[in-house]
Amino acid sequence: MKETKKLLLVVERDLRMFLQYKFIIIMRAIWFAAQVAFFGLIASRMVVPELADIYFEFYVAGVVIMMLYSASVFIGYDIFEEAEHGVFEYLLSLPVSRKELVLGRSIGGGIRSFILVGPIIAIALFVIGLANPLNLLIAFSALFLFAFGVSGMSITIAVMLKSGDRFDIFMGVLNALIVRLSTTMYPQVFVQDASKVYAAFSEFNPLTFASDLFRWGTGIERYLTMDPMPLAAIIGIVIFFFTFTFVGVTIYEKRLEGGGWQ
Amino acid sequence: MKAILHIIEHDFRNFFRYKWWLAGLISMNLADLLIMAVVYNQMVSPEIAELTKSYFNFFAPGVTVVGLFASAFMIGREINMEVRRQIHHYMLSLPITRLELAVGRLFAGGLRGMMYMSPLLLTTFLFLGFPSLPQLLVILGALLLLATGISGLSIATAVSTTSFEKFVTARGLVYYVLFFCSSIFYPLSLIQTLGREGVMPQPLVVLAEFNPLSSGADLIRSFLLGDPPFTLNMVRNLVVFSVIFATTATFAYMKIIERR
Repeated sequence: MKETKKLLLVVERDLRMFLQYKFIIIMRAIWFAAQVAFFGLIASRMVVPELADIYFEFYVAGVVIMMLYSASVFIGYDIFEEAEHGVFEYLLSLPVSRKELVLGRSIGGGIRSFILVGPIIAIALFVIGLANPLNLLIAFSALFLFAFGVSGMSITIAVMLKSGDRFDIFMGVLNALIVRLSTTMYPQVFVQDASKVYAAFSEFNPLTFASDLFRWGTGIERYLTMDPMPLAAIIGIVIFFFTFTFVGVTIYEKRLEGGGWQ
Repeated sequence: MKAILHIIEHDFRNFFRYKWWLAGLISMNLADLLIMAVVYNQMVSPEIAELTKSYFNFFAPGVTVVGLFASAFMIGREINMEVRRQIHHYMLSLPITRLELAVGRLFAGGLRGMMYMSPLLLTTFLFLGFPSLPQLLVILGALLLLATGISGLSIATAVSTTSFEKFVTARGLVYYVLFFCSSIFYPLSLIQTLGREGVMPQPLVVLAEFNPLSSGADLIRSFLLGDPPFTLNMVRNLVVFSVIFATTATFAYMKIIERR
């Protein structure tokens, strides 16, 4: 019980920290509006007729997942900010175990990205509509795991690299590839047509799992895959979450101390 | 002139400090071209395919302009930081006139954009074919005008925002409106059609038509793809944009750095 309380304190701290970044919230809102109102709307008029009716909703769902991903990654940048300002040493001096610290941060990172994306999800659901609330509930549960997993991944990479510059470039390249090699912007069948190599990456990409699940939850995916339930996507997200949360805890514990931050 | 060159050199040295950031940016631009555009190539309708020939070819000049915009805009971030940390007091102590300082920063921003954009432009030429020498000179001249205007826009934004957060928010707004409301990602004729159908508000259609990013991308397309045809309006839009923002930025910068 005492451990849970400590964990919650770490989560609370990260949530409070996030609410200070009001400009990021404004920026993200502008980005979402531009993506949907310009790109989504115009691109839906560019695509092949069989996709034209559904592409706008498809794209809106993809943008939600892109936002969830980028908001969850943000915790890694917080870690560098703390290392730069010497807050890390303060955190290490607290009566909180390393495990509680990293688990709390991973959960905090996931929850705060949901807080950021919450209003966007509400707008997306208004645009897309809702076919089956139970499906959406299952999809949401998996998306929580996805957000925790991405936060865990960001923390793991940050503490492994211990260099703000390297982290910046690594996340920039990763972001460039992971978003584009996924089904956030286009259905898998077109990725397959474009390149077998791209399709192979896209098929096992956590963003693909998350996008497919969200679309399935809202009922759009039935137009595209006809899968009764994207079980592979759920399993993929669970594996992703466990890998980066629990492997992340181990790496974080080992790499946290000893300085070496650049 | 020598003083201006010193300022340009100073800003170029600063530019290379952001090598990690630049590497991330170029990978994003290349991923847009080599992944996103390749997949969209399969997705565009036959009408759009006929209009653009190939989406990949259509998008390559667009991504060149995106790269130019993002890198030329970086000067604003540095100037905003200098004003906030009052480093500009050091700049004022240099044996350089205010005008030389302002002009040097403006051109440095533009030239850095040109330098960053060069590999992207070369990639575009490799895929789409090389233009003739006069066409190449027109393209480079037009892009230099665009880069100078963007640098001016960025400096004007940087000196009129008091905090980094406000600068980043303003930058985001400028980025997204100019990127998405242009012919970088989609043909201008499609935006005009949406305007006629009432889907796209008319002011946004006008913005897309006069958007210097549309003019820059379409000018490259006109020489490399033959469509849209080259018109003097493209050059006019770039000249007007460049003159307005270069002048505004020069005077705004001179005024702000002298403010106590």
